Amino acid sequence: MPETLSQLLDDSVLAMPIAAGLIMGALTINVLMLVWAERKVSAWIQRRMGPTEVGPFGLLQTLADMLKLISKQLITPSNVDKPLFHLAPLLAFAPVIAAVALMPFSKSLILVQNDFGLLFVFAFGGIAVIAIFMAGWGSNNKYALLGAIRSVAQSISYEIPLILSALSVVLVVNAMGFTLASGGSIVVANGLDLSHIVMAQDQHGLWFVLVQPIAAIIYFISALAETNRAPFDIPEAESELVAGFHTEYSGMRFSMFFFAEYTNMLIVSMLAVVLFFGGWDGPVLPGPLWFFLKSYMVIFVMMWVRWTFPRLRFDQLMTFCWKVMIPLSILNLLATAFVVAVL
Amino acid sequence: MGYFGKVLSGFGSLLTGMRITFSQFAKTFFGRKNVTLQYPKEQPKLAPAFRSAIKLIRFEETGTHDCVACKACERICPSYCIKLSGGKVEGIKKKRVAEFEMDFSLCSLCGLCIDACPTDTLEYSKVYEEAGYNRDWRVDLVAEFREYEAEFVEKQRVIEEKAATAKKAKAEAAKKAKEAKKAKEAEKAKEAEAEAADTAEKPDTAEKPPALEAKPAKADAPAKAEVPTAEVPTAEAPKS
Repeated sequence: MPETLSQLLDDSVLAMPIAAGLIMGALTINVLMLVWAERKVSAWIQRRMGPTEVGPFGLLQTLADMLKLISKQLITPSNVDKPLFHLAPLLAFAPVIAAVALMPFSKSLILVQNDFGLLFVFAFGGIAVIAIFMAGWGSNNKYALLGAIRSVAQSISYEIPLILSALSVVLVVNAMGFTLASGGSIVVANGLDLSHIVMAQDQHGLWFVLVQPIAAIIYFISALAETNRAPFDIPEAESELVAGFHTEYSGMRFSMFFFAEYTNMLIVSMLAVVLFFGGWDGPVLPGPLWFFLKSYMVIFVMMWVRWTFPRLRFDQLMTFCWKVMIPLSILNLLATAFVVAVL
Repeated sequence: MGYFGKVLSGFGSLLTGMRITFSQFAKTFFGRKNVTLQYPKEQPKLAPAFRSAIKLIRFEETGTHDCVACKACERICPSYCIKLSGGKVEGIKKKRVAEFEMDFSLCSLCGLCIDACPTDTLEYSKVYEEAGYNRDWRVDLVAEFREYEAEFVEKQRVIEEKAATAKKAKAEAAKKAKEAKKAKEAEKAKEAEAEAADTAEKPDTAEKPPALEAKPAKADAPAKAEVPTAEVPTAEAPKS
């Protein structure tokens, strides 16, 4: 019989479900608050009021929306590819939870310590693309398929500048040979380890946004495209494609896509904070609080961007990626490599 | 402009857009100035010239409308949305409207009825929450005045009687004055004949007869009309 919480967590059988439950709970609250925040920010930008009726400041509005979604019937259209149709929302939903577990909230608060955390986060991001394509293909619906095709093309294209910009940060961390005191022994910083990236910034008191400003901007723009956020929301494009890849989904299955989308926002923001804004580094307040504060600031900017710019046309989207983002990020990476090699 | 120049100017224009949206955000978030009207909780401020269905004006002095059922509005209405009936009321001379049916679903808000009304008792109302469950919008405009009607008729009766009495008194007084004048003239003629007679009596005979003879005329007026009776002699005094 476990007597304390830590004892309970040491029990390997129980640790997994408890950790999963904690992450799920935290992420659910995060999504509820983010949807509320999105609606409030959009309202304020448009000089409206946003939700005000349910709960104080309308805070419980999304909770009510979720209860409605849960209680709705799950409709399976007759001509869908049933295995793909049923699997897609789960596949969109699962990797985002895995990616959150890798994030270093503070020096000690890391749910899963992995030497190649950065690589894993991008890998989990790749699974989301497959999920979206499964949803679009399995739905057997022209709008869903078009949305899925757009999404795949967009995600694959924008993953290149995203990873290239992150790579220049990795290059800085690796090549400059930071040494970190970790658990009594001195280790050489590993640029692919998320906590090492933060510690490297912490040690020199220099956030990488100042070292790599172009990479930061490219990362942010690619992250918007990766999460299918406006102005890169052409996979959903409600004015062109009904609802894009999730046209045929209803109830809880639809809300799983929604959940994945908003959690993806949190993941790319957290990764931006890790890579460019010094992670948990900050005065007075405890580390995890700083981490979340910075993450939500990045999310605010994402919302601000969404309610400012119109959606790009598909050819503009591709032109922008292949003719601007990728050349610039390659140039940036080469310049970084050159500077690192000379120094 | 080269490649990098284009990228830079494009980035600059993005920042301009973001600055604009942030200024709007700040106005709502920090300035608390949003354009939303929380409708059922807040009511809109209607323009002074706002036009809605016509209504009967309630005058302060009478406490009710002044419609005399002349049907000028019914005749002039190009949409045939007014139907009214009424006329003679027992006890008073003034005609009164009995029913004033107005169908707002036909009304084009042209305002001709308001211009045509001889007693100026019509105006635009400011009602705007007029959603309903059927196509009819037929309302009896007199309905809200019904409970005051009996009171008004009673008051009007008194006023009319007063007026009638006053008129009668006036006519009588005028008659008396005429007689007095005649008498005076006769007296004058007499005086002229007999110059040497009493000259001191003249002012007394000129003023007293009308004042004395006005009273019997008011005696048949009801008790309610007491105030005017007091007034009548003073009003008549200068005239005679």
